Amino acid sequence: MSASAMGNVPEEPPGSLLRRIAWHWRYDEKRELWIGWWTLVVFYNLYGLLFFVITRTQPPPEPSLGSSEVVEWFADRRHGLVYGYAIVFIVGGATAIMNATLAYSMRRMSVSRAFAYSYLVIYALATLPGMLIMGVACTVGAMRPDRDPELMRWLYDFAFLSFEGTMGVFLVGSLVWMLAVLLDENGVFPKWFGYLNLCNALTEVVVAPAWIFKSGAFAWNGTIAWWINMGVFVTYTIVFLTLLRRMILREDFGTGPLPDLSPGRAPAPSGLLKAAR
Amino acid sequence: MRRTDGEVLLLGALPVVGVIWLSAFLLFPGFVQPMSPTMSAEEVAAFYRDPENLPRIRYSMILFNWFAVGFVPILALIVLQIRRMAHRTPIFSYAILACAAGGPTIFLMANLFWLLAAFRPMRDPQLTLMFNDLAWVTFSSQVGFLIAQSVILALAIYLDRQERPVFQPWVAHFNLVVAALLIPSAFTGAAMTGPIAWDGLLTFWVRNVAIGLWIIVMAVVLGRAIKRQRAEDEAVAA
Repeated sequence: MSASAMGNVPEEPPGSLLRRIAWHWRYDEKRELWIGWWTLVVFYNLYGLLFFVITRTQPPPEPSLGSSEVVEWFADRRHGLVYGYAIVFIVGGATAIMNATLAYSMRRMSVSRAFAYSYLVIYALATLPGMLIMGVACTVGAMRPDRDPELMRWLYDFAFLSFEGTMGVFLVGSLVWMLAVLLDENGVFPKWFGYLNLCNALTEVVVAPAWIFKSGAFAWNGTIAWWINMGVFVTYTIVFLTLLRRMILREDFGTGPLPDLSPGRAPAPSGLLKAAR
Repeated sequence: MRRTDGEVLLLGALPVVGVIWLSAFLLFPGFVQPMSPTMSAEEVAAFYRDPENLPRIRYSMILFNWFAVGFVPILALIVLQIRRMAHRTPIFSYAILACAAGGPTIFLMANLFWLLAAFRPMRDPQLTLMFNDLAWVTFSSQVGFLIAQSVILALAIYLDRQERPVFQPWVAHFNLVVAALLIPSAFTGAAMTGPIAWDGLLTFWVRNVAIGLWIIVMAVVLGRAIKRQRAEDEAVAA
């Protein structure tokens, strides 16, 4: 039973954060969207902390290290790798609700459901090359420092090339979102965000030489393959979080009935909610 | 009204798949007495070279390769029940679908590493050791999607505010307990012995029993929810 249907929704209480969260949990009709949005915000902050500070795997080290230097690299950050990636493994699944929230933004657009579904599946798979494979390779490298140094270097390559060199999921995923934004007539996101998606997609194109070069601007730690890439990605992420927040604030579920309850127990969904489902 | 034809059949296939999973688990010689991470490269190589073990490793992993994705239809049925809940957006059902795509893929990676190690057991023992490590670490530490699907399902149930919710609140509590039990195994890389090691009490036994229990409990409550849904649909149609 929605709060507004009961008629008397108390005002959001001032005071402690916990009481405010409790109020939103109880009465806020947009709580599902806010759960998704806050998961995105917390996750990306945590992601930065884990990759840059705790595991110290970003910015990436040089691809040209010799095998004994790679052994040292693993030894240097052993605990960071093992504990940092353990946390990545625990929270990694949160990407499911994040991608669901982004897919929902596409359901609000005047485009086919195919866009939301493609985005959802592509980004569900992106979790593997985006962080999990790297985590497994780094954990396996860190847990046995006496492993054959050549194999340590293979694990090192596996970690960084799976992370940076798996491009298609982000390339096509961004293009799907771009098309949806550009075709949309509901104004869910501004058109310029469509073109920002194109920028993000293009960074995945310029990263391809990381498979070939072991040093210089095109290597996996290079100015072009890494620094520009990361700059665009961070901008893109901050922008879509802001735009998504605005979308949620604008979203008006009003006093419409809940969609899709069992037959016979719910009135027909309103036009707006029909569009959203 | 949504079509529900075939849902009972999908659910009914689960016990069969469950028996296959259990047989494959018992068949793999490295599970019944889980292999220790402290084994040396030579010992690991000897494990794969042992003519008693080798066919059992291959056949059990082939079985897992065939049927691990049998997990997906159960998640799809959960997605359909979430869509019957009193939510305003499809976010929770989308999220469970995303978990269904991610989770089994990770398990299949572990499966590939085991099969690779067994394909040419005469390889340099260091290589066999590495494949074995990759298999066990992937298998043990990748609990993220399982945790996520339990937490998301619990949230969906708590926010299903209608007179007769699709699932009872205890199903949500149960899912949170399962999620908590899965957390320690993410740290498996931190220890070669003890409860966190990949053959340890928490990482191996507690995690696998929790996953098994989750499948059984969710199958039962899903069965009840589907039965109730059909009765309601028939009442409306009549």
